[in-house]
Amino acid sequence: MPNETPNTRIEVWDAPTRLFHWSVVILIFISWLSADQGYMKVHLASGLTLLVLLLFRIGWGFAGATTARFSNFLHRPSSIFSYLKALVGGSKPLHAGHNPAGGLMVLLLLEVLLAQAVTGLFGNDGLKFSGPLALLVSADMSDRLTQIHSLIFNIILVLVWLHLVAIGFYFLVKGENLVGPMVTGKKHRAHVPEGVALVFTHPIVALALLLLSAACAAWILF
Amino acid sequence: MIPSPFLDQCRLQADTRRQFLGWGMGGLGAMFLNSALAAPAKPGASALQIKRDPTTPLAPLPPPFAPKARRVIYLHTGGSPSQLELFDYKPELIKYNGKDCPEALLKGKRFAFITGVPKLMGAMYPFHRSGKSGAWMSDRLPHLEKHVDDLCIINSMRTDQFNHAPAQLLVQTGDPRIGHASLGSWVTYGLGSQNQNLPGYIVMISSSSTTANAGKPLWGSGFLPSVYQGVQCRAAGEPVLYLDNPKGVSRAQRREVLDAVDEINRGTFRQLGNPETVARIAQYEMAYRMQLEASDAMDITREPPQVLARYGAEPGKTSYANNCLVARRLAERGVRFIQLYHWGWDSHGTPVDQGLNVGLVDCCHATDQATAALLTDLKSKGLLEDTLVVWGGEFGRTPMQENRGGQEMKYIGRDHHPAAFSMWLAGAGIKGGMTHGATDDLGYDVVRDPVEVRDLHATMLYLLGFDYRSFSYPYQGLDQKLTGVKPARIVSDLLA
Amino acid sequence: MSDNTRATGYLPAWLYLALVALVTTLGIAIAMALRPAFANSVLEFLHLQATPQAARNSFYAVRVAPLFENHCISCHGERRQKAALRLDSYAFALRGGRHGTVIRAGDIKHSELMERITLPPSDDRAMPPEGKTPLSPDEIKVIRLWIGAGASPSIKVAAIKGAPRLVRDVAIPNFDLAQAMRQRATLAAEVDRLSRRYPGLLSYQSRNSADMELDASSRGAAFGDADLKAFAPVTSRLVRIDLSGTGITDASASLLAAMPALKALRLANTKTGDNLVAALVPLKSLKSLTETGTGATQASLASLRARGVTIYGDGDAK
Repeated sequence: MPNETPNTRIEVWDAPTRLFHWSVVILIFISWLSADQGYMKVHLASGLTLLVLLLFRIGWGFAGATTARFSNFLHRPSSIFSYLKALVGGSKPLHAGHNPAGGLMVLLLLEVLLAQAVTGLFGNDGLKFSGPLALLVSADMSDRLTQIHSLIFNIILVLVWLHLVAIGFYFLVKGENLVGPMVTGKKHRAHVPEGVALVFTHPIVALALLLLSAACAAWILF
Repeated sequence: MIPSPFLDQCRLQADTRRQFLGWGMGGLGAMFLNSALAAPAKPGASALQIKRDPTTPLAPLPPPFAPKARRVIYLHTGGSPSQLELFDYKPELIKYNGKDCPEALLKGKRFAFITGVPKLMGAMYPFHRSGKSGAWMSDRLPHLEKHVDDLCIINSMRTDQFNHAPAQLLVQTGDPRIGHASLGSWVTYGLGSQNQNLPGYIVMISSSSTTANAGKPLWGSGFLPSVYQGVQCRAAGEPVLYLDNPKGVSRAQRREVLDAVDEINRGTFRQLGNPETVARIAQYEMAYRMQLEASDAMDITREPPQVLARYGAEPGKTSYANNCLVARRLAERGVRFIQLYHWGWDSHGTPVDQGLNVGLVDCCHATDQATAALLTDLKSKGLLEDTLVVWGGEFGRTPMQENRGGQEMKYIGRDHHPAAFSMWLAGAGIKGGMTHGATDDLGYDVVRDPVEVRDLHATMLYLLGFDYRSFSYPYQGLDQKLTGVKPARIVSDLLA
Repeated sequence: MSDNTRATGYLPAWLYLALVALVTTLGIAIAMALRPAFANSVLEFLHLQATPQAARNSFYAVRVAPLFENHCISCHGERRQKAALRLDSYAFALRGGRHGTVIRAGDIKHSELMERITLPPSDDRAMPPEGKTPLSPDEIKVIRLWIGAGASPSIKVAAIKGAPRLVRDVAIPNFDLAQAMRQRATLAAEVDRLSRRYPGLLSYQSRNSADMELDASSRGAAFGDADLKAFAPVTSRLVRIDLSGTGITDASASLLAAMPALKALRLANTKTGDNLVAALVPLKSLKSLTETGTGATQASLASLRARGVTIYGDGDAK
């Protein structure tokens, strides 16, 4: 590693995005464990928190920092394909935030997690527990959505596995540590393309968005 | 309005506490029920409820699903015949004849009259296999025996009542206490009356001797509107007491009186909403129409002599045979529920007319021929295939000889026995030529395929096209059902 | 230039992928060890383990499977798999659920399923849970006998002694008012008109269907062939007709012969005879016919009798 001087590391990930990422990791784990062991109240709490955070992230994707915005990392399928080709070819295109493949992963994960949270709202466990919106649909529909909820869990597992494999690939094969930057927010200058302008939105906006998301969730529930 | 304490009381009674709370809570309650958090109602549940216009309570209604039976003829052998002398063949018991009853059968049990240690007693009459099916029957019912291949004999009936009135109420109303609706009332409530000129539910009574009984509540309507109660008719004399107009009152004048009473009753109904008021209207109107048709229906002199001879019917007398013939005539005229009570089967052995060796013989003699003739007639008129015929009492009789007060008795008898008794069914949807269930070697307990009274009711309702679980009437905060609150089942083995 | 650099990692790609494959396989193996149900589905997926199936006439298929179907599969079946347990096939039942197998062949005491169904209803772990119909003692006995005899997929019904008699279930028909209304719609106007003209004669057989019954017996001789003809528009749905004591004659033969749904016909005490009987012969749906007090002869009824139609006639009254 070259000598670290303050200006060899550039901030690319803003605090709200980072907080979001790791909270989701913990919450997925908590949701999984609580459902497996039957602690449904905990499951409900973690699921609802996830829902709020997901709503926040979607809002942040339009109003947040540059690297957090959807416009920054969502690409056409052709771009994603050519990026992957280049990667396999041995080169390593640089991106400040998510690379195109990573962007796709983010999109998939967000969609799947959102679907999971929403189906969870309507599901039931066959005994005494049911989601907060389960009464709005017929028993049959609730069962069907519970089945989908279980199915989507498997998809989440696969996506998480893929995500971890990709992170490992970048670290062990490409030599780029992606975990560190997601914690500290700073990437080594060498890994960031030149001349990229990064705008960081004020944390107050993040807070406001969070409160708005919580309010939306509350409205859905009541 | 003329101030009247009676009307005031009616008005006060109409304002029940429940109604008051209902009106008061109507606002909040309605808001809650209409909110998104309300649980959706069970699909189809409300569709199954009987919806009746209270001003036409006897209008015919089709049952929820296709029925096998369109009418019921219930032959109640009041007092309870001894199954051990008629249908339940116990050769082992004969071996123990005269021996002391084992302790195990007496311990912890309550008997109506037996005290101390009674003696076991085998059947007094010989049994044999009968018909093509080979069902066991004694020699006491030779006419019925000709129909044995149409009968479904149940030897494993069970009840939990050991006295006449509660046991009869259980069999007829589903509950041993007074106040519940009888089987016939339920059927009339659910199906209405096919013939609008005759009551939908008719009861006729005959007896060989007196028997303690629960009386009119056995065919009462209980909590159902009183229009559905059984109407007691007589085969001799006036078919229904006080049906005819008094001397000097013409039919036209009667009509005028009825119209006036109708108007007053309808006004009361509009004001107080008490369904009993319109039930009264319906009953008056029914009585008016009955004046013409009832006498004709109940007049057995219109039958040819060979039919009278087949039943053993004698016009002008009160007899089971006459009642059977009337029952057939009523069945032909669209009466859906016909009940014949014959009292006198209570063979305790105390008076001579209740001994197994005298009283039972008399009862069999009085009823056997007519029952068989009824089945024959129903069959030949093609009515048996959609008539459910039920025969039985309210409990069985003990395998022990009764020893009232610990004394040996003058006549031979058996005490009441709720643990096992026999009934038979025939007709619509019933598998004939079979015997269902069995008791132990002594005939004491049911050891195979017990049938509780509520199971019989569930099966009867099924044959009539009703689901016993959803056929209910709300009363006192409960959706009252004929089969009661304990789980019942439809006895599939009895069905064809 | 600056947007692209050469990759400089620690491992070549192929080695990394091999590592991933290894770790993933290890992970699946651990999961299989921790979750037997998962292990079984993986093995079956890889065709390393055959899916056991029960013979169609085995004790399991005839006695046990219907019990599971009635009491268990609403929560342990295709729709829902509580505790990852399914009981809707022999394979699934033997496979068990999240916490291991629930059936140990031949070992009633250690079969979790037996324990759960014999717990007192107040116990939280009792199965079926509160609110569902509990198993009857006879049903529990059937399952106990089967597990005790080895929980086999092939053992025949007769081979297991002492099983309570199989009692046929009575299925109460589904109540579909909407469908009945739809089916009634086509003839509804005609039914209405006929009910007004002849009140009380025409009725639907049940609230659940569009089939109809016609009972003209109350009209007596006043009801004649012309009146019966008035019901021609609804003949496609008539299943039962009672014309006892009415004034109809053999002239109604062709009308009655054109009723494709007719199951029961009562002609007692009418002036009908052999011509009408002959017209009824082609009616495939007819199941019962009452000819008491008519002019029909035994000879003409013979062909109907031979076909299995129940005939009620004067000969029955002895």
